[in-house]
Amino acid sequence: MDTVVTNQEIFVVLKQFIGEVIGQEFADELDIRPESSFTKDLEMDSIEIVAFSEKVKKRFGAEINFTGWLSGMDIDQLIALTINDIIIFIQECQSLK
Amino acid sequence: MPVVKVGGRDVHYQELGSGIETAVLVHGMLGNLAVYYFHIAPMLAEHFHVVVYDLKSHGLSEKAEAGYDLESMSADLLGLMDVLGLRRVHLAGYSFGALIALKTAARFATRVDRLAIIEGPDPSDEEPLRVMMEYSKEAFDEWVGASGLSMGRRQLDRHHRMYEYIFQKTTMQADVQKQRDFFLGKEVASIPHRTLLLYGEDSDCATAGRLLERRMMDARLRLVKGDHNLPVQAPDVVADELMDFFK
Repeated sequence: MDTVVTNQEIFVVLKQFIGEVIGQEFADELDIRPESSFTKDLEMDSIEIVAFSEKVKKRFGAEINFTGWLSGMDIDQLIALTINDIIIFIQECQSLK
Repeated sequence: MPVVKVGGRDVHYQELGSGIETAVLVHGMLGNLAVYYFHIAPMLAEHFHVVVYDLKSHGLSEKAEAGYDLESMSADLLGLMDVLGLRRVHLAGYSFGALIALKTAARFATRVDRLAIIEGPDPSDEEPLRVMMEYSKEAFDEWVGASGLSMGRRQLDRHHRMYEYIFQKTTMQADVQKQRDFFLGKEVASIPHRTLLLYGEDSDCATAGRLLERRMMDARLRLVKGDHNLPVQAPDVVADELMDFFK
């Protein structure tokens, strides 16, 4: 895969994944920002977050242990998870390469 | 998303880990594989090949109007195992999924190694059936309000559409009624597998665990802190218990 370097580039990729998972029509109605939380702001339910996670793993999988990272969170942390949390995690993994 | 055809229908599943032995985890009614995906499955995947899947009309699996009796649901599970080439697995089920796991162990004994029942309810309990029969959008809104859950419009609509479909547009109600005497029948008493009965101390279903312990040949009841929502409340505990039991 191509290496994604900047936070903005990662954000664009993640935003595209969100649109693919919840439907672009609904995604267009949302104000999707880095600080948006998946559960509260984007109203994604658990199976949609699974689908989103699979896309992240497929895109960045060789570089990050995304499922392992998520499994370290408790339910409250998962509910509060934002796009920015994932951007930072991916950036940190990439910086370790 | 990994999807396979089982009995002509699309079934969404996920695989984790690369252990030699496989653990299959079955979710409950109105849930989906996410109940395992974020914690329990990754923890088990440190030692096992783990397979989780969405039941018909749940999660990302294809809808079906009929076939919610335990015979059909266990056949679905066996069909998935066949498609994935899984000869023999450790099997765990939560809530309604626990009933499917029990039925699968009874019908296809040689395909199951160890069996874990998490919060399996007594099918003779009238309450779930009453909830299904009396379901309405108003009842749903009232329940959401009383539970303190914070859901947006889209989430509310999605959940309501799913509940309405399963409760009112499928054979679920009739199929659930068919299995009311399941715990008292010969099948449950004849299950030969070593079985873990994992229940929450404060769960309304704990009496079902005690009943199963008396009825089954080789079952041990383990009560841990929590209620029926155990896999969400205490995923680490559930994963540790399954890990110890399956290893």
